[in-house]
This record gives sequence, structure tokens and C-alpha cells, in this order.
Amino acid sequence: MSALGILPTVGVERTPPSVLRNTMTIAQRELREAVRSRWFLLYTLAFAVLGLAVSFVSASGSGGSGLSGFGRTTAGLVNIVLLVVPLMALTAGAASIASDRERGMLSYVFAQPVWRLEVLLGKYIGLAASLLASLSLGLGACAVILAWKGIAARPASIVWLTGLSFALALGMLSVGMLISALARKASVAVGTAIFVWLILVFVSDLALMAGTVALRLRIEELFLLSLLNPLQVFKMWTLHGVDATLDVLGPAGLYASEEYGARLHVMFGAFMLAWVVLPLSAAAAMLSRRSPL
Amino acid sequence: MTPRCVHVPCTLVVCLVLGPWGVAQARSVEQGAPATPVVSAPAEPGVLGRRIAAAGAGDIIEVEAGVYTERIRINKPVTVVARGRAVLDGGGNGDIVEITAPGVTLRGFTIRNTGIDLDQENTAVRVLAPRATIEDNTLEDILFGIDLREAPDSIVRRNTIGGKALDIARRGDGLRLWRSDRTIIERNTIHNGRDAIVWYSADVEVRNNYAYECRYGLHLMFSDRVTITENEFSRNSVGIYLMYSARVELRQNRLIGNRGPSGYGIGLKETDQFSVRENLIVGNRAGVYIDGSPFTDKQPGVFVRNTLAYNDIGITFLPSARGNELTDNNFIDNIDQVSIAGRGSLDANRFWKGERGNFWSDYSGYDQNRDGVGDFVHESRTLFENLMDREPALRLFLFSPAQQAIEFVGRALPAVRPEAKFTDEVPLMRPVSIEFVPGHGEGRGTSRLLLISGVVLLGLGGGILASARDGARDRIGRHPGAVGREGEIG
Amino acid sequence: MIRIENIAMRFGKTAAVNGVSLHLDSGDSVALWGANGAGKTTLIRCVLGLLRYRGRITLGGHDVRRHGKRARLLVGYVPQEIGFYDDLGVAEAVRFFGRLKGLSHADAGATLDRVGLHGHEHKRIRELSGGMKQRLALAIALLGDPAVLVLDEVTASLDAVGRGEFLALLEQLSGMGRTLLFASHRIEEVASLAKRVAVLEHGRLKEVVPCGDFAARIARNAVLHLSIAAPIRKRAVELLSAEGLAPQLNGAGLLVPVAPEHKAVPFRILADAHIPVDDFELVSHEHAARIGTERMPEEDRP
Repeated sequence: MSALGILPTVGVERTPPSVLRNTMTIAQRELREAVRSRWFLLYTLAFAVLGLAVSFVSASGSGGSGLSGFGRTTAGLVNIVLLVVPLMALTAGAASIASDRERGMLSYVFAQPVWRLEVLLGKYIGLAASLLASLSLGLGACAVILAWKGIAARPASIVWLTGLSFALALGMLSVGMLISALARKASVAVGTAIFVWLILVFVSDLALMAGTVALRLRIEELFLLSLLNPLQVFKMWTLHGVDATLDVLGPAGLYASEEYGARLHVMFGAFMLAWVVLPLSAAAAMLSRRSPL
Repeated sequence: MTPRCVHVPCTLVVCLVLGPWGVAQARSVEQGAPATPVVSAPAEPGVLGRRIAAAGAGDIIEVEAGVYTERIRINKPVTVVARGRAVLDGGGNGDIVEITAPGVTLRGFTIRNTGIDLDQENTAVRVLAPRATIEDNTLEDILFGIDLREAPDSIVRRNTIGGKALDIARRGDGLRLWRSDRTIIERNTIHNGRDAIVWYSADVEVRNNYAYECRYGLHLMFSDRVTITENEFSRNSVGIYLMYSARVELRQNRLIGNRGPSGYGIGLKETDQFSVRENLIVGNRAGVYIDGSPFTDKQPGVFVRNTLAYNDIGITFLPSARGNELTDNNFIDNIDQVSIAGRGSLDANRFWKGERGNFWSDYSGYDQNRDGVGDFVHESRTLFENLMDREPALRLFLFSPAQQAIEFVGRALPAVRPEAKFTDEVPLMRPVSIEFVPGHGEGRGTSRLLLISGVVLLGLGGGILASARDGARDRIGRHPGAVGREGEIG
Repeated sequence: MIRIENIAMRFGKTAAVNGVSLHLDSGDSVALWGANGAGKTTLIRCVLGLLRYRGRITLGGHDVRRHGKRARLLVGYVPQEIGFYDDLGVAEAVRFFGRLKGLSHADAGATLDRVGLHGHEHKRIRELSGGMKQRLALAIALLGDPAVLVLDEVTASLDAVGRGEFLALLEQLSGMGRTLLFASHRIEEVASLAKRVAVLEHGRLKEVVPCGDFAARIARNAVLHLSIAAPIRKRAVELLSAEGLAPQLNGAGLLVPVAPEHKAVPFRILADAHIPVDDFELVSHEHAARIGTERMPEEDRP
């Protein structure tokens, strides 16, 4: 310990690393930690296994027609994405800042020559990259299985689905990080994230269904209300991209296709973007305002 | 859930064997006019009129290549044949060809550029006399294509009819028959038109035609004893719509991706004594739509050996639909296999007969005695389908986990289980194998691109992982909050 | 090097730090002295820009609030207790923080050698003992050879030997012209490391005194903390009071203020009466006032 080594003389003032560099440093570190966590492995496996199951079922179900059921495969994959991806992204986001705070790591990192925004963005990017890896592996495996099974599917569909799943993951990650910025303990943050997941996946849809029946909502009201749920936006956007129409979703879908047509892309994109930007901005505001303890 | 399907290979074999033939056939339709160098210089005006005026009955008038901009009226029984690329150009006004004498043949022309006046019904070829033969023509940029008015015993064959790129409400009919009994319509291709419509014409045969991106692929009104075979209707609003007609036979047609706001593969309204056999009905909004059919109780509505796959709704019945019998059909992965609009009941229709039921991809039973028939009755009673039938707006929640939650509740709690929509006492364990004529539309051979996309995605995911693992040794597991507190050194 | 001007910081309604001003020139070494809750850790966290404060703090002329990144680049910080990313490798951690400090490639091996962690490069952080973690924190603080070292009770989790080695290292750094700002509870630490002592009381800066004066005063105001078995504690109080001392009962024993030249007197009195003393400690007056009754305020919790 006493061997101090050679220390150069003090006085040369260095410039702090750029925002980009710091962000990427933190992103890499976060990606590494995420990829090494058993959660990542678990979710990726669950996602891939469910996706493959759907692909197999629809591949073997093409029946006497010799035609593919890729529409159905897409629907099945959409279903899995809706269930797994938000859970994955919300919990990953929720654990990120809160667990660092709990371990005292947050204030230690903030005491380094970094901006808090760099830490937030770095964590966001790192986790987003890990989610992208997970999604690509799962859906890529599905695509290979479908191709191997000779399903004549449009490759663009699966790429589109992957892209939108990633967009959904970005939105949910953003919400997760806001929860994380607000919570003091990681366990509380993750619990809240699961609660939010339940609301987005089940409660809001069921409530809207009940509202449709009980309040006799008009279809345009129903459609606009459903836009508030990012999961619905993801689902509609995926179907709109694959089929260029939402008529599969009944009167409300028909209304949307006829009323807005190609503008739906812009609408869905805007709502999805809002789910990415707004919670993350709120998280940034929270993080810079509050003490990191 | 998983259909035990083993005959996909056999279907593939059929496709492979018949594929080249289908391609050749399609090509022959498209190349009705021989390809010779285009003559752009307009011909002398009135030259065709003078030649027709000079001809006698039974003459063959050969028209050499060139662009003819005159209105043509054929008022004597002659054969008018294009030699080379003879173009009849309407110049964007009015009609182009009018046939007023019986027994006229018009063959091999390119007819283009009618007016766009819907009230005047600007038409490329109007036939006002019996026994016309209109064949091997290419109609482009026209409002109405071929219009047969009181022209029985005619033949419309191997024509390609392409409508104007107008909004659907401003288009005309690609093909129209009015009181033209015993007409044969075969091997035509119609696209971007409004309807192909048959009014008050009996004993008509419609075969091997292909219509896409129209409103109604084929529409019968008050037309009896019509046979419709081996046609393909893809991506129209409605594939085939039968109204107020009787003794209609539909066989071996392909109805694919017809998805307009009503969007049926086959629609039947107050049609009687019909049979629907061996049709391939895939990816439509509703595969079959039945309203008030069969209209009388003379004969049950026959649905045999059809494949209904991947439609939003396989068959949708209005409460007025009674007396249909469905056997040996394949219901494969339609989101809603059978739907009943409103709060009606399907009791008046049968989903099995004797020992033959249908194949249901959602049948969950098994077949222990291996007789090809499921050991349990197939009952359709999912709570969400039931809700959707009653409240169509709820379709918006399709494919969402909330839908599955509702179905789970429906299965778990008998109290909220809906009544069975229908039952099939003898559900088939395997799909009925049917050989189809090859179709036009389906893109095949995209598997390789799909494989490439899959590999690219796997590469992307793997790449991210590799970059994260770079320099780090493999060790999985993370214990949040476990901080060592030993507090000693060395 | 460090200019703290009229700093105020509140936790809710409690003023954790109030009106503190303190200037440290380059090469200075100041100990923050005070009982728990006096505001030492809060002040340190303000200097690092971790808390929102009123007033103004500059490091090397850079405002901590406005140019925090540049200001913190001058600082190596060792916290009281550190919860690293457990799964990180030791060398990996050094490289990570090196990058954050703008070093293109931190030589992990050499850095770890410096603090005696040679040979532990390939361990995971969770495999390190508390003391080793503390050394790693110091190694990281020294990355890029910052002009200022800010240390918060860094020896609290170390045993006597480890503490000695750690202090020797810090003394060496101070001798090489680094500016030191550190919080401490221990007199010997202050005496060996500080040039000046800033005494904090209830969030206010009471005084700043040269280290020599302070050590003398501490010695003058020394309080003996004696561990005596409970049944005979009362008798010990009576005996000592009879000899003119002013003992006070305390949870684990007695607190006895003693004159610097007569620190052994209580031992003689008790020995004569055959009252065994299990252990003793010489503590500061301020510290003594809090022993046993104090509760750790929120800001000092790990």
C-alpha cells in the first residue's frame, strides 16, 4: 500500500470528456450489466420460445391451401410482444436508477465529472441496446423457422414487427426509467413497474371494453381513447403496416383507416414518440432536481 | 389447436406440376395482341368506317397496325381483326366501338381512352346485338369496358380490361351483361374497374377469369343457372356477390384478400338453390357472407369441400340465413371461424351431416379410435367471439392480452360461458385435401428473403451481445444491494 | 483551490448546513470536525454538486453548479462506504471510471498497484472485502491525478492496520501538493493529515483553527470513556465523584472529563477500589456529548 508509484505533478488541466463519450461509456457499461443479468437471459428465452411456438403452430396449420398464414403468425407474435416486451422494458428501466441509488452508486457516479443527463441517457441507450438484442434474437429465430418451414411470408412484415417492437420497448423503457427516477428503492420501483404493466396490458383495455359496452362509446371515441395506450398504438401500427388497413379490427379499425388513411403512420408515430420522449424528459427533470441519495 | 396436417407436401406437388402451365396460360391472356412495333402516327380519319361500309356480310376486315382515332360502328355481321398492333383510341371522349349487328367478331385490338362521363356511360365496346364474339382485346384506360345489352349467346374471351385510375366511385364497370342469356365469359382479366356485373342473364358461364382491385369481382343480379368456375378474385372489395339469383354453382374459385369495408370472398343475398364447392377462400375480411339465403326451402344451401383460411371471419351469417348445410369444409385459423351477426342463432343451419362434419383448426379434442373423426363434439363458444358478435366495435381489442384474459375467464367460469354458437358432432381430425387450379396472385419463393431477414436480425442481436461481452468474462447473475461489509484489510 | 461561500442547504425544515464559508488554497488540507449530524457529509456532497445548495462553491475557479463537470474533473472522491456494481471486474471498474474522467486508457494494473490491490485485477468487486473496496475507491479517486481529494470518513470501515496504511498514503499525497478536504471523527487522523480544522456544529461553521491548536485543545478537553460492568458502575461514579471528578453514566459505562496531565487518575482510583475497567477510549468533548444518546441523522446514513 505504501508503494505509491510515480505520480506526475499536478497542474495540467484536462478537459472533461464530451457528452457523447460519457453517454457511450455509461451505455456500454449498462449494456454489459444488462446482458449479464439473468433477467435478460430469462426474458430473451421466454420471448424466443413463445415466438417459436407460434411460428411452428402457424407453419403446420397452413392446411389444405398451401398458403401461408403469416397474417396469423404476425398476430400471434404481436400478442407475445404485447405481453413480454412491455414487462421486460418496464422492469429493466425501473431497476436501473433505483438500484443504483439503493447501492449508493448513483451519487458516486454523479460525483464523477459527468452530467446527470449523460448518466440517464447512457443508461437508456445501454438498456435499449440490450432490449434490441433480445428482440432481434427472438424474432430473428422466428423468421428463420418460418423460412425453414417454407412459409411464404413477406420478409418486410417481420422486419416491421421487429422495428415496432423496439419502438414499444423504447417507450416502455422510458416509463420504467421515470418510475425509477421517482422511487427510492429498487423493489418499490420494480413493483410499480409491474403494476403499470398490468394496467397497460389488461386493466385499461378491459376498462375501455366495459366503457364501450356500458357508455355506448362511438367508434371514433373508442379509437381515439385507444390511442392513449401505447400497446394499442403498437398493435394498430403493426397491423396497419402489414396490411395497410385496420379493417381486421372491426368498425373502429375501419373508421381509422377510412378517416385517416396513410396519415395513421404519422399519428401512431407521434403517439409512440410521445411515450418515449415525455417520460424520459420527466425522468431527466426528476433526476436533476432531486438529490441522488 | 395444431391441425395435424400432412398433406401440405401433396399440395405443393400439385402446385409445382401445374405451375408452369398456369404461367403460360396467364401469359397468353396478357399477350392477346401480337407484339409488333408501335405505330404512333395516327391513321387517316374515317378509314375504318369506310372499310366497314364497303364490306359485305361475313367479310373479314383485317386492320393493320396503327392508331385509329375514329368512333367505330359495326352494323353488319363481319369479323374485324387486328393485324399487328392496331389501336382504337377514343381520345378521352365518349364511346369507342359500337356493335349493332348480330354475329360480329372483334378480335385483337388495343382499345383505349374513353371519356369519363358516368351518366353517358362512356364505353370501350358496346354490343347491342346477339352472338357477338369479343376476344383477345386489350382495353386500357377505359370507363366502361365491354357492355353487352340484350346480346345473348355472346362470347367474351381472353380480353384484358384495365380501368381508369379513378376513385372507385367514379369508375365504370369493366364488364356488364344486360339480358344476355347463354353468354360465355372466360379467361378475361379485369382490373381497376368498378364491377363485373351480370343483370337478368340466365345460363351464363363464367370461367377462368381473373379480377383484381375492382369493387365487385363478379356480381350477379337476378341471373339464374349461372356457373362460376375456376375464377380468381383477389384484392377486390368483394369477390363474388350473388343477389336475387337461383341455381348458381360456384366451384374451384379462388377468393383471396378481398377486404373492402364490406369485404366478402363470397356474398349471398336472397339467392336460392346454390352450391358452393371446393373454393379457396383466404384472407378476406369475411370469407362468406350469407343473408337470406337460401331464399326458399326447395334445396338447402350447399357448402362442401371449401377451404376457409385466415379470414377475419370465416363465415358470417345474418339471422335471416337459414337452411345451409356445411360439410367437409376446412376452417383454418380464421380469427372468428363462424360468426352470427347480432343476437341471432345458427340453429337453422347445419355444420355436419351424417358422418361428415368439417375440419376446425381450433378443435381441441382427439381421436382415440383413429377413424378420422374427433371423439368429442366441436362446440364453438369463446366468450370474446360471443362479445364481438354482439358488439362488433370490440374487435378493436383483437390480438391483445386482454382478449385472452376474457377468453380465459370464459373457460374458467361456467357462469359467464356463452351458449355454444353451433356444434359439429363429427368434426374431422384432418383437413380435407383439395386440388386447386393454380392462382395468379400469390407471391412464392419469398422464403429465402425471409431467411435472410431472420439471419440479419439474429446477426444484429448477436452483434450487440458480442459487443457487450467484449473484454468481459462470462458470468451471469446480479445481486442488487449485496454490499460487502467485512471491513478488514488484507 | 476550493472556495465555499456562504453555503446553505436544507433537508425539509432542518438546516443541514447554514452560512458556511471556507477557502482552501492549493496544497491545503482541511479536516471537517464535528459530531454526527453537524453537516460534514452534507458539506462534502455540496462541494461535489450532489446536493442543491444556496450560495456558491468553486473548484479551481469553476462553479460547481454551473460547470459541475469541469469542476469535478479536478476532484478525486472517496465516499464513506461504496456500493460498486457488484458484477464489475476490478480492472473493468478502473477503466470505466477512467473513461468518465477523460483518460483514453487507464492503466488498471499500475493504478491498482498504487493502492496495494496488485493481483486482484481479475476479481469481481463483490469478491472484495470492505477494506479492499475502499482501496479500490481510492485508486479510482486517484485516476487522472486530481488536484483535490475529497474524503468522507474513509477509514470508518477499516481496522487499525488498514487505517494506518491508508493514512500513510494520504499523507504522502498531501505532501505532494494535493489539496485535501476530509471529514473525520478521529483525532489521530486529523492530527496527522490536516493543516487546519474546520469545526462544524449544528450545520454552522464554528471556527477554523490550525491543526496544532486544535490537537492541544482536544487533548485539554479530553474525556475518558470507561467500560465498566453494569452492577458496579454506580459505585464507580460515587468513588470518582468523591475524588472531585465529574463522571457521567452512559449506556456502556462512564464518561469522565480529565485534565490532560492527569488522564490516568481515574484508573488509579478505580484500581484501588478493585473495580475492573474492561476498556477505555479517549474521546473529544463534542463526541462525548453525543455518545450513547445520539441517533444518526438522515444525511449520514449509508
